[in-house]
Amino acid sequence: METYSIIFAIFLGGAVLTYFAGKLNSILQDILFLGSVLVPTYLFFSGVSFGSAMPFSLEGISLLWGIDHYSWLFALIVLGLGSLAAVYAIGYMKGKERKGYFYFNFILSVMSMLGIVVSQDLISFFIFWEIMTWSSYLMVIYNGKDIQRVGIKYFVFSAIGAYAMLMGIVIVHSITHTFFIEDMIQAYGHMSLQLQIWIPILFLIAFAVKAAMMPLHVWAPGAYSNAPMAYTSLFSGALSKMGVYGMVLILVTLVSRLPQGIWFREVLAWLGGITAAVGTLWAIKQDDAKKLLAYSSVAQLGYIITGVAIGTELGMLAGLFLAVMHALFKGTLFMAVGAIEKQTGTTNFTEITGLIRKMPWTFLASLMSIIALAGIPPLGGFVGKWMLYESLITSDHYLLVILIFFASTAGFLYCYKFLFGFFLGQEEKEWEHVKEAPATMVVPMILMSVFMFVLGTFPGIILKPINNGLMDLGFVDSYKHLWETSVIFNNWGDHVILQPILYSIIAIFLFFLILVVWKGYKGTRYVTTKDISTSGEVPKEDENLTFSVGFTQPFLRAVAPVMRRQIDKYYTEFAKGLEGLFEFMRRIYTGNAQTYALYVVVFVVIVLLFKDVLF
Amino acid sequence: MDSSLFQLLNYGVYGTAILVMLIGLYGALVKKSLLKVVIGLSVMESGLNLLIVALGYLKGGTAPIFSEGFLNGSNKIMVDPVPQALVLTAIVIGFGVTAVALSLVIRLYRHHGTLNIDEIRNLKW
Amino acid sequence: MVGTPVLFVAIPLLAAFLIPLLGMIWKELVRIVPGLVLMYLMVLSINLLNHVLVSGPIVEVIAGWAPPFGINLVFSAFSGFLVTLMIFLGLVVWLYSYRFKRNVGFEPAKKYFLLLMMLITGAVGIVLTGDIFNMFVFIEITGISGYGLTAFYTGRDSAEASFKYLMLGSIASTLLLLAIMILYSQLGTLNMAEIASKIHTVNPTYKVISLILFISALGIEAEIFPLNGWAPDAYAEAPGPVGAAFAGIVVKASVYAIIRYIFTIFDISGAYSFLIIIGMMTLIIAETAAIRQDKLKRMLAYSSIGQMGLVLVAFGFGTEEGVFAALFLMLNHAIIKSLLFLSGSYLVYNSKDKKIVEVNGMHKFLPITSFLFALGAFAIVGLPPFAGFWSKLSVLTAAADSHMLFVLALVLIVSVIELVYYLRVVNRIYFFKKGENVDPKKPTFNALLAMIVLGALILVIGFYPDVITGVIHKASADLMDKTKYINDVLSIKQ
Repeated sequence: METYSIIFAIFLGGAVLTYFAGKLNSILQDILFLGSVLVPTYLFFSGVSFGSAMPFSLEGISLLWGIDHYSWLFALIVLGLGSLAAVYAIGYMKGKERKGYFYFNFILSVMSMLGIVVSQDLISFFIFWEIMTWSSYLMVIYNGKDIQRVGIKYFVFSAIGAYAMLMGIVIVHSITHTFFIEDMIQAYGHMSLQLQIWIPILFLIAFAVKAAMMPLHVWAPGAYSNAPMAYTSLFSGALSKMGVYGMVLILVTLVSRLPQGIWFREVLAWLGGITAAVGTLWAIKQDDAKKLLAYSSVAQLGYIITGVAIGTELGMLAGLFLAVMHALFKGTLFMAVGAIEKQTGTTNFTEITGLIRKMPWTFLASLMSIIALAGIPPLGGFVGKWMLYESLITSDHYLLVILIFFASTAGFLYCYKFLFGFFLGQEEKEWEHVKEAPATMVVPMILMSVFMFVLGTFPGIILKPINNGLMDLGFVDSYKHLWETSVIFNNWGDHVILQPILYSIIAIFLFFLILVVWKGYKGTRYVTTKDISTSGEVPKEDENLTFSVGFTQPFLRAVAPVMRRQIDKYYTEFAKGLEGLFEFMRRIYTGNAQTYALYVVVFVVIVLLFKDVLF
Repeated sequence: MDSSLFQLLNYGVYGTAILVMLIGLYGALVKKSLLKVVIGLSVMESGLNLLIVALGYLKGGTAPIFSEGFLNGSNKIMVDPVPQALVLTAIVIGFGVTAVALSLVIRLYRHHGTLNIDEIRNLKW
Repeated sequence: MVGTPVLFVAIPLLAAFLIPLLGMIWKELVRIVPGLVLMYLMVLSINLLNHVLVSGPIVEVIAGWAPPFGINLVFSAFSGFLVTLMIFLGLVVWLYSYRFKRNVGFEPAKKYFLLLMMLITGAVGIVLTGDIFNMFVFIEITGISGYGLTAFYTGRDSAEASFKYLMLGSIASTLLLLAIMILYSQLGTLNMAEIASKIHTVNPTYKVISLILFISALGIEAEIFPLNGWAPDAYAEAPGPVGAAFAGIVVKASVYAIIRYIFTIFDISGAYSFLIIIGMMTLIIAETAAIRQDKLKRMLAYSSIGQMGLVLVAFGFGTEEGVFAALFLMLNHAIIKSLLFLSGSYLVYNSKDKKIVEVNGMHKFLPITSFLFALGAFAIVGLPPFAGFWSKLSVLTAAADSHMLFVLALVLIVSVIELVYYLRVVNRIYFFKKGENVDPKKPTFNALLAMIVLGALILVIGFYPDVITGVIHKASADLMDKTKYINDVLSIKQ
């Protein structure tokens, strides 16, 4: 009860204080910022008990806050990643302008996301949802780069989603006369079929926008890559999960009770699969690490959506486990890119190579996250993907499995590109001065890598809370015995114990690592990019010979027909057409006083003529 | 006077008043000179005032004043005083509006050098 | 008795006429007196409103003629709420322009404050009066002072805007007088309460024609499409605070008049859906026109028109919920749009064309003004936790409860458009490079104070809407109770 008020008061007060503290002292500002993220986090995990609800009333509307196991899971993602990203942000923002602005919006974002998960009524849910939208929007335009296009696009899509949700909310309210989510779920069974179909659609639009699902994903690449990286790790890692949070809630509580609900699931699952495939293809095409990761985020969210849309318990588990994993590895990857950006000033693969010696810790964190992202054991991504395939196969979605498998395999290309492009390859003279990022930036990345590793070996640690959450949502606990040990299982009843396999993999991996490093120090000849022969021709000075240039050309040529159709283009055309129409429409105001007077006369005459119809 | 003839005359007055209003409206809507537009607006108001006074007229009524003639005379019918009071107010207001309009016309002429309403269109869309 | 409603009309009118005389004594009095008058009225209106909320409406009889023969003023919860709002905005506008007009010398300042007082007199009179012809007179007072204020600057195209306003205003007054006379010829009375009690006896054709003429006439002042040709020009060319006064005071009074006719005086049920139709038309056309504007104040003007359309839609639901939403929206619109006009006019203070591109990069020079503009922009598009959200929510709830899902969807779609053009301007203020020939002007202290008061109100209402919703609930209940209004007025004995 009290705790909620204190938590949100600290967030709000901290945000404002942090903003103004920048005028006094930079270090004080950093401390205040950390405090206003970490203190509420501590308070939340120590002071808030499950099921506790805090009812209060505003403008005649009863509001209710509280948590169950399901929302606790997302609170964990938000606050955990939020705290680590906050620590990282201290280092990242050092010496940058608009620090107060960044901190203010960062705190508000964390606050609003926590607010979303603790809201048990639709109005506070919506309020926090909108605060999340505008605070993240303010982050997207932080750099001032391309804001009239990218920023507005993000906000417009978010607004379309939010307003669709708002429409759903007020329609529900007109039936139940309360805003409690509990009452909505209760009343849903008694609604007319039309409403039963439309209300989930309206809500799902909002959540699909935030989760960047096709065809509502077009805002995501620009927004993710334009926001400062310290924030993008939170943006992609936690903020997009709010879409998943809502989606699961709607799917489980509303759609599952609808006979036609199976169509919702199928459509969502397929859209998720397509999102994964298309996102992956676009990610492969990118030469900029930020863009690559942005598209990769879109793709990863696609897996998650597919998982939760399948709707079986295993699918839900897979989706939510992947959501946690995605928060970890994508958070780390964006942090790593941020570190590289801070140290080198660029994030383009065609410019940087061979950072492995200069930024070893960043490399290690990136390596771990890439392994997790690609779904290779021994890291957690593997467990998630495995469960996803399992759930798809057990529910007879064989085509979807093929699609996901294709996306997942193609994903290796960009994983490789990321790792190789930045860290391996020849060391350029240009980057000799580059140093490892400061400790505040490295420590969160390493910590998250450790988490990923632990989750890969003991997935039960996080599967148990997920399972508890699912039980709160009304699932039968059919896999309970499996969380106790660290095992993986399949459709045919095989239970594979993970540890021995993992330990042997780790041992081999470490052995080779040591071997490579040792060999690397001994027998390497230092060369530059120019030190090569290209079929007898000597390359010119200005020719970009970084091997990342045109890295995946053949593959991209093969899939070119798919990539030619960009949804973004249609949206742009549509927006342009609309503005043209508006331009035409405003000519009604001709500027001539007599025309205006004529309008009055015509209006009066027409209304008088049709008075029987109108009145 | 014959009752039906009175009725006819009454309608005639109404018709005239409305005709005057329409003439004023025509002037305001069609004439290109700002002055003529202002005149049109004034004419329209005059027509309306005429209509209001006509509405308040009763057959054979005298002026609504408690004069000696009214009290002593045989005719005890008074026309409705309210419309007349209203018309007086409306005339005063109309006068004020016309004055403002004319001062604006002078400003516009100084600024644009023309009174053609079609050419005074700096503000549009 | 705490005070009488007649003071709201008498005092500012007296002040308006005394301003030139006082100016002869001490020039500064011209600026000070309106403020003192408005402060007094503010205190008075809050007192009266408190009194009215507890013990029912005050009906003031003028010159000893009891209704329905004489003119009466009605200070009820509904009209009292609007009067308080208007006086408050008048006070803010005064505070803002106290020094805003320093550059223009004594003579123009005298005229400005005189006209402002007249404007407030007229608008307050419209809301308070219980007599339809008296309302006509007040509308004309408002109109004429409005023409004058629009034409305040001699250097610009303000005369053109003013002329358009005047031309449509004259047509409006003709239509209004015609409508009044149709009612009078049928019922022989001008008292609103008595008309309301007898309206069922009137021939339906006359009734409808008269209502249509009323709506058309008042719709010109209330900026209903397609009657609002004057509005964007007048807003754009009038001085900034006058734009705020138009949006916050004049239009509110006209909307009040329309609502009074439809809700209290006439008993035509089709009028409600008509309100929704014209409201939606106004909303859509105005917002689509706003997105393509290249002048800041013109954009704000269209946005203001659109908001008033939304207010009419909310009234058109005809439920108490809808009225509540509409009143809440009117309050928020008055506060937020005034803030936008006031801060916006400093953002383009020294520019000749008042183009939107000229606000580029202004936040470095006018940090507080820019922040307040951004706050206003966020609030008016209805983002929580600012004031606009609650009113938008109540409008939408009312729409859903009246089962107007189509209206609901359209309002939300239009909101997206609104969002786009406001964000574009805010982006320009904060993230674009300043133009070379732009010469920012620092706001004076009192102007800043006026804007900060409005900004603080936005935050207060946003975080704790209960401060104001109690009053609005009572006001909307008051408007819905037609019989009570009639009884309250007609029971007054001489």
